[in-house]
Amino acid sequence: MKKQSILLLLMAVMTVFLLPVNAFAAGDGTERSTFTVGFDAEFPPYGYQDTETGEYVGFDLSLAEEVCNRRGWTLVKQPIDWNSKDMELKTGAIDCIWNGFTMNGRENDYTWTTPYVDNSQVAVVKADSGITELGQLAGKVVAVQTDSSALAAFTGEDASEENIALADSFKELQQVGDYNSAFLNLQSGAVDAVCMDIGVANYEMEARGGGFIMLDEHISSEEYGVGFLLGNTELRDEVQVTLLEMLADGTFAQIAENWGLSDSVCLSAEDHVTDEVVKESTSFGEKLVSICGQLLKGVGASLAIFLLTLLFSLPLGLLIAFGRMSKFKPLSLLVKLYISIVRGTPLMLQLLVVFFGPYFLFGVSTSGNYRFYAVIIGFALNYAAYFAEIYRSGIQAVPIGQHEACEILGYSRPQKFFKIVFPQMLKNIIPSITNEVITLVKDTSLAFAISYTEMFTLAKQVAAAEATIMPLFIAGVFYYVFNFIVAMIMDKLEKKLNFFR
Amino acid sequence: MNLLEVKNLKKSFGDLEVLKDITMTVGEGEVVSVLGPSGSGKSTFLRCISMLETIDGGSMTYCDKPAVSEKDGKPVYVSKEELKEIKHSFGLVFQNFNLFPHYTVLKNITDAPINVLKRDKDEVMKEAQELLKKMGLSEKGDFYPYQLSGGQQQRVAIARALAMKPKMIFFDEPTSALDPELTAEILKVLKELAAEKMTMVIVTHEIDFARSVSSHVIFMDGGVILEQGKPQDVIDNPSNERTRAFLKKLEQ
Repeated sequence: MKKQSILLLLMAVMTVFLLPVNAFAAGDGTERSTFTVGFDAEFPPYGYQDTETGEYVGFDLSLAEEVCNRRGWTLVKQPIDWNSKDMELKTGAIDCIWNGFTMNGRENDYTWTTPYVDNSQVAVVKADSGITELGQLAGKVVAVQTDSSALAAFTGEDASEENIALADSFKELQQVGDYNSAFLNLQSGAVDAVCMDIGVANYEMEARGGGFIMLDEHISSEEYGVGFLLGNTELRDEVQVTLLEMLADGTFAQIAENWGLSDSVCLSAEDHVTDEVVKESTSFGEKLVSICGQLLKGVGASLAIFLLTLLFSLPLGLLIAFGRMSKFKPLSLLVKLYISIVRGTPLMLQLLVVFFGPYFLFGVSTSGNYRFYAVIIGFALNYAAYFAEIYRSGIQAVPIGQHEACEILGYSRPQKFFKIVFPQMLKNIIPSITNEVITLVKDTSLAFAISYTEMFTLAKQVAAAEATIMPLFIAGVFYYVFNFIVAMIMDKLEKKLNFFR
Repeated sequence: MNLLEVKNLKKSFGDLEVLKDITMTVGEGEVVSVLGPSGSGKSTFLRCISMLETIDGGSMTYCDKPAVSEKDGKPVYVSKEELKEIKHSFGLVFQNFNLFPHYTVLKNITDAPINVLKRDKDEVMKEAQELLKKMGLSEKGDFYPYQLSGGQQQRVAIARALAMKPKMIFFDEPTSALDPELTAEILKVLKELAAEKMTMVIVTHEIDFARSVSSHVIFMDGGVILEQGKPQDVIDNPSNERTRAFLKKLEQ
């Protein structure tokens, strides 16, 4: 048990290190010159990158721009990773989160302006799916964005019983990183419905030019506000006052119209600002146990990726190595091209190609189960290429004299390879293989690219949901311990092969 | 019966003609030493008759079975199956032993007879023990090659060649990687084999050894045989100018 307590201590120390960071965020009273808005750059129409100009635009950013103009501030548009929004805010890297930011369920986590957009959660399905009401989603795969309002509506603490029952009826509630990938999933048949904010749904459906419909029933209603660091009422009040001015002179309505959001806006002069906050406190230990419990579900997935990848890529690599060394030129050139492409492009991209390729290249619809197969296929194909080159170097390092001795003694080619070359190759390549295997442990986290929920994805989700960085550190400890064991096993293997030189 | 007949053997590497026109025979029980300066082609010659290199001209016959014969001025090898059979008629001992490092001494010796010749395991093991005893290595059966001295490793390599029961054994500078003391060990073993009428072709720089054990000596230079015959004639009374110069240099 001693090891466990050391682990706990280590994590406690890590967490303590992060706490003082808050101190930097406090205002220092001097005149403000810039105003930094944090937003998810993949959240049109509120904040996103204009594909033609490359600039960040959106309804929220237009509002912020106007506020800055009136206040004499310079607007800084800071795209952030949605999962890290709290860290960004706490460190003072951004002044506020202004990005279709749902207040419901987060009332006590931030200092808010009054709501300015009323946004309901809706479900979007393929037009030809035959689904017309929420009840028909039973047994289907439904996608939501990680840490989105739609997810909260189904599984959050304040979720209605109706919605919880609805979510339970789904075959699977699939979390995806962004709406683009959600719609790609929907199009390819990997998911049957995507739930999201109504404004986003309208925008995405129009931008994608048909083929989708929105269900008339709404999952929930919610409101957007501008979120400031808890307690930063001074800055909030300044922004609030300016927003109300804009409402009074019609600028607000104009901007909303420009972005096609006239139906959704709800800013009102009568709303009062919520100020007082009561934060529930849970003990450090309880939190740690709860987080570890949640992460544990992802550990199995990470282990599965790791083990299955090795199971397939190690033998496949040997075949590829043979192809690479083949005297038949077309084959060896083809294999060389394969290795060059696999090594020359990101694994993340390869995963996307394997997952979406069947639909977008060949028009074959894939089922939700394919997600896991795609992860394994992508990883195995990628690692096999690396292993192939390692095998090749190991085989070529076996002295020519060994081949000649086999020749003279009359060994057949398979006998020569398996009895004489392979064991010597193995000894040659163990250090390189160890390197690859350790990289694989860490690479399993790349499965998030196609929304496969392994441990690190889960850690990011939990970190976002609980507004703490602790899960990421626990994930780090997990990877370290995992690799420590891997290194130990490989070391044993290396020692075992030390019986000859 | 001649165990090996080589006629007009030619071998080139690219534009470099290494062997120009080699003709020789090895009779049963003969010990043939091949002498000559470095680069004379003697090692290439040994690799050609061991079939580690394919020849570019001429013919080779093993125990009256043709392995390569000349057709329309080009050497034609017999079928793979026939070659496999012919290859079992000779063994080769390398300059740097080429033992299998991951096999014990005993497994180095027994693996090919058991798995290639498909002979009875117990019988092969018994013979291997006897071979080790003959090589003075009875205690070393479970050792790995790296645990042995160079001389001991070469003796294991010789035992490995003998275990295949070849009609003749080729030696490619078997003592060149060894110091004088270990060289003596190996030469002693070769002398014993010669006394048992083992047919051998030995590429060597050991003149004294060649004189005392050989029944036939070949002196090569520039890819041709300059002189061959009984050791007393070639070594002690050479007729060729270059042979004389080479031997004189070795004596110094």
